[in-house]
Amino acid sequence: MEKIVKEIYNAVVNGNASTVKILVQEALDGGVDLESLLNEGMIAPMKEVGELFESGEYFVPEMLISARAMQSGMILLRPVLFSKDIKPLGKVVIGTVKGDLHDIGKNLVSMMLEGAGFEMIDLGTDVAPEKFLEAIQQHKPDIVGISALLTTTMSNMEKTLRFFEENNVRDQVKVMLGGAPVTQNFADSIGADGYAPDANQAALLARQLVGAV
Amino acid sequence: MSRYLCIACEVFARPLYSIAATSPNVIDIQLMQRSLHDEPSRMRPKLQKKIDFMEDRGYEAVLLGYGLCGSGTMGLQARNIPIVIPRVHDCIAMLLGSPKRYDEEFEKTPGTYWYSQDFAERADETNRFASLGPISDEGLAKQYEAFLTHYGRENADYLMETLGSWQKRYERAAFIDMGLLTPNGYKDSLGNEADRRGWTFEMLAGDLLLLRGLLNGDWAHKDPKNYIVIPPGHTLDITYDKHIFRCTPG
Repeated sequence: MEKIVKEIYNAVVNGNASTVKILVQEALDGGVDLESLLNEGMIAPMKEVGELFESGEYFVPEMLISARAMQSGMILLRPVLFSKDIKPLGKVVIGTVKGDLHDIGKNLVSMMLEGAGFEMIDLGTDVAPEKFLEAIQQHKPDIVGISALLTTTMSNMEKTLRFFEENNVRDQVKVMLGGAPVTQNFADSIGADGYAPDANQAALLARQLVGAV
Repeated sequence: MSRYLCIACEVFARPLYSIAATSPNVIDIQLMQRSLHDEPSRMRPKLQKKIDFMEDRGYEAVLLGYGLCGSGTMGLQARNIPIVIPRVHDCIAMLLGSPKRYDEEFEKTPGTYWYSQDFAERADETNRFASLGPISDEGLAKQYEAFLTHYGRENADYLMETLGSWQKRYERAAFIDMGLLTPNGYKDSLGNEADRRGWTFEMLAGDLLLLRGLLNGDWAHKDPKNYIVIPPGHTLDITYDKHIFRCTPG
């Protein structure tokens, strides 16, 4: 690994956004291999952040700070990757379910998935089934991620899935669910493809769902 | 006349005392701290311990002044006497008197901070304007200090912004008036606080129906659909639909 990529790796793990930004620009100007920059400078450190979270060394704040650092690099890297036709691992449409305004977890998941190599299309909060459908038709994602914090809005997850079925798009996407009151049982009972209890598991699950594991 | 034990969240204190005072039944009330909701996974063992400790004192049933409460009541077991619980998600529907009314209010303004007399009286100074519902903003300032120490100002600001962004979508403060006494100065100060934060402020009339039915035993015959009775040897489970609860053996 080139020295600068290693430095970027460390800056992402340590959550130093401004350093990442400067170093990524330097790396791009210096003609560092783009795939190495993406895989070893952005994705690999986020994987380590996920592992630090799993082992209880990192908590949500550390994860957020690292994810932000990664994003500050991705903002510069993404257009270059796009222009060189380097494809993301897959495309994910994500949002909180209709009626639910709480998005801390969803935002963290979105960042961890981006850090795992996915292109993210974030529809924000209180996303109606129609809006998810529109995004599926427009962006052709591999995965749709839906979250809920309130037990009162969880039933809208099922309604959203039924709506996908009625509009014949359910088999075009994998659906993963998350949120504090959501469980594997619930996800199974409404016919989702997966459930993850936290943002790191969500990233692992998404990789599985697109067959990247 | 029946003898019941009511174990309830303290946010129902005044309504429960008031109903118990004129109930045909003899009711002992045990209040639990409202902060149990902050960590639903810790709520169940605490409630179960309380139920198990109290139930063999000659009561016919345990009446729970709780709802699903973020799944905090899921898995509660009735051992020797039945447990009765209203079919509500949380205290807001309970105070409004029906899940239907909560749904209507939620539909109108999903981003609502809910307040009530008991809730306010049982808050300390640091969380005076924290509301009923899923999230309390208790100790926000303390959290910022901790972030500042650990991660520096830039990251601390980012974390507060990220972790608090949901609040920008909250736009109403609603005070549920249970009609038991004239709301004290808290109502005015909440109104002022709402003004200051750019929320609308509404007084909504509460309804004692569900709490009264719980204590008066309406769940036995008069109004069984609004409550679930967990028979001895059964466990409370979630249905993820409008029934909210079901019982499973075990």
